Amino acid sequence: MSPTTSGAVLNVGTREVTRAQVEDFLYREAQLLDEWRLDEWFTMFEPDGRMEVPTTDWAGWDATTAGFFVCDDYDLIRARVKRLKSRKAHAENPHSRTHRMVSNVILLEAGAETVWISANFLIHRYRDGGAYTYVGRYEHVLKVDDDGLRFRVRRSIPVMESMDPGARLSFIL
Amino acid sequence: MTQQTPVRPLGGAEGGALIDEDWEAMRFRVHRSAYRDPGVFRDEIAKIWGHTWLYLGHETEIPNAGDFKTRTLGGRPLIFCRDSAGEVKVFLNACTHRGTILCRHNEGNTKFFQCFYHAWAFSNSGDLAALPGDESYPDDPGFRESMRLRQVPRLQIHEGFVFIAFTPDVPDLLTHLGPAAHYMSLTAKIGQHGMQTLPGVQLYSVKGNWKLAVENAMDGYHFAPTHNTFVGYLRETGFAVTDDDQYAYDLGGGHGLLVLTGHNGRIGMVWEPRFGDEEKARTVAKRNEMAARLGPELAAEIADASRILFVFPNLLLFDLEALTIRQLEPVAPDRTDVRAWQFVETGEPESVRALRIKTMVSFVGPGGLATPDDIEAYEAVQRGIVATADSADPAHDWSDMSRGMANEKQGNQGRSIDEGAMRSFWRHWADRVGVATAVAGDPPADPGAPGPSTVFAAGSTATAGSAAPTTSGKE
Ligand code: FES
Ligand SMILES: [Fe+2]
Repeated sequence: MSPTTSGAVLNVGTREVTRAQVEDFLYREAQLLDEWRLDEWFTMFEPDGRMEVPTTDWAGWDATTAGFFVCDDYDLIRARVKRLKSRKAHAENPHSRTHRMVSNVILLEAGAETVWISANFLIHRYRDGGAYTYVGRYEHVLKVDDDGLRFRVRRSIPVMESMDPGARLSFIL
Repeated sequence: MTQQTPVRPLGGAEGGALIDEDWEAMRFRVHRSAYRDPGVFRDEIAKIWGHTWLYLGHETEIPNAGDFKTRTLGGRPLIFCRDSAGEVKVFLNACTHRGTILCRHNEGNTKFFQCFYHAWAFSNSGDLAALPGDESYPDDPGFRESMRLRQVPRLQIHEGFVFIAFTPDVPDLLTHLGPAAHYMSLTAKIGQHGMQTLPGVQLYSVKGNWKLAVENAMDGYHFAPTHNTFVGYLRETGFAVTDDDQYAYDLGGGHGLLVLTGHNGRIGMVWEPRFGDEEKARTVAKRNEMAARLGPELAAEIADASRILFVFPNLLLFDLEALTIRQLEPVAPDRTDVRAWQFVETGEPESVRALRIKTMVSFVGPGGLATPDDIEAYEAVQRGIVATADSADPAHDWSDMSRGMANEKQGNQGRSIDEGAMRSFWRHWADRVGVATAVAGDPPADPGAPGPSTVFAAGSTATAGSAAPTTSGKE
């Protein structure tokens, strides 16, 4: 991390990224996901972006050394979106209702064209008369472009000890 | 016509049969209380989990001296560890002093387990190593000896798969496994340098009875409708999935096997476009390596078809695009904890490992493109079957599993898209739990070969080594 940054701003090349921009990006994502606007959500990834959900015993492993819940490359994210939009995605037909809270946004470090950020999330999901809570944090690598931010790596790290009864990850965590 | 137990007036599990099998009407039904009733659940824990071999874990989860994992099996907290001498040990995770959970970590490496309550400490081979204030105890070596950690009565290992039993009166592990041992050996032989589990264990829990998870795994009939979106994804990646040439086998002892040809590509074995070009060349090399090491017949048996093996009562081995070990832990009639490990070749290149993990988790696990729909199915069954409980018409309180009986009666090999594997599971289950089974009509005379006949015919000479696998480990 560059010692000149205040924590609220990072310089990525000649561009400046502020915490407010990152928060807006994450809030918009939360809104798109809660409203099941998955095609729009998919445009938040750069081509070749990826998405990971490590398991609850995660100790920093990457997806070449450990099992994961999700390690989607770009094609798989597309397939996931297509699946979730289908009436035949039985685990999400009808869709879960989700309600996401994102907070504790931190700009971690700037790369040549990326910014690494972390945030906490709390997601409530309701379906079939059941209520489920997912608690965790995001650790994302965001590509910084003239027109804004995009996911290079979107990583959601659950902090629960296991997925509770009924709490499968059939939606986007 | 044979009739072992009179067919009950339909319904009412009260003292009646929970399995109703009729070879005249070609009907096989399971009473739905088998998934709901707390008494049935208690009997399962006592008579199955308390009295047979259970899959605990794989030796490679604890590779080094001192490594341990804690895990609950059959409701009992356990320590699964490798002692300082390198031997696999399984202890009840309870202090012998007053019963406190001794090790409260999920995993780690230690020489000693120390209880925090009164600070007794036990070595990783179970000896009572430290006893604060021991001058107040009888000066008697027998006392310390009596306070050793309690080991599970039986422990045996087959090809790295560690099984335990909570009673000593179980048959030898290989006797229990029967032909299932051979199929475990097949997966164990894939890697030139062996096989291992990875960290990154999928831990999740399902609001459904454990037997629904078994049925689902042995049920090819659901694949196309339930996994329509996954099949669509495969088709888009250039792979045609078919139901042809897919068979189910009763391996005896409640164990079951599906052999699925044309189900999917298999990493290192059967290439498909979504694996990419690098993997195409490696598949040729890997097949050659296996043929040279194992002989062409055994290599082909391992590589050519996907398999789903169920080892009664709690192990599922999914040998599909890649390998997943899944363990079932019943918690309540309507709740099952599941643990799933990726099972990989030791020492394979990082790119292959990454492909394997990506491919497998895109299908299996609570975040995959397929398993969530399976979970939805078991949970939906669990929610739905209360509808007919204690209903005015008890005839409705049954689930039907008769698909394929006519074919079975003719002595044909059961297809994976029939329900024969479920029927054999349920018959064995009823036997273990001591539940009455009503049988009417004449069942097929010959239950058929305990596995693909080509395997055992060819295997008896060419694969003698694998057909008689070895066990190691301590009793
Ligand atoms: S209960 Fe463990 S030392 Fe007393
Ligand atoms: Fe399935």
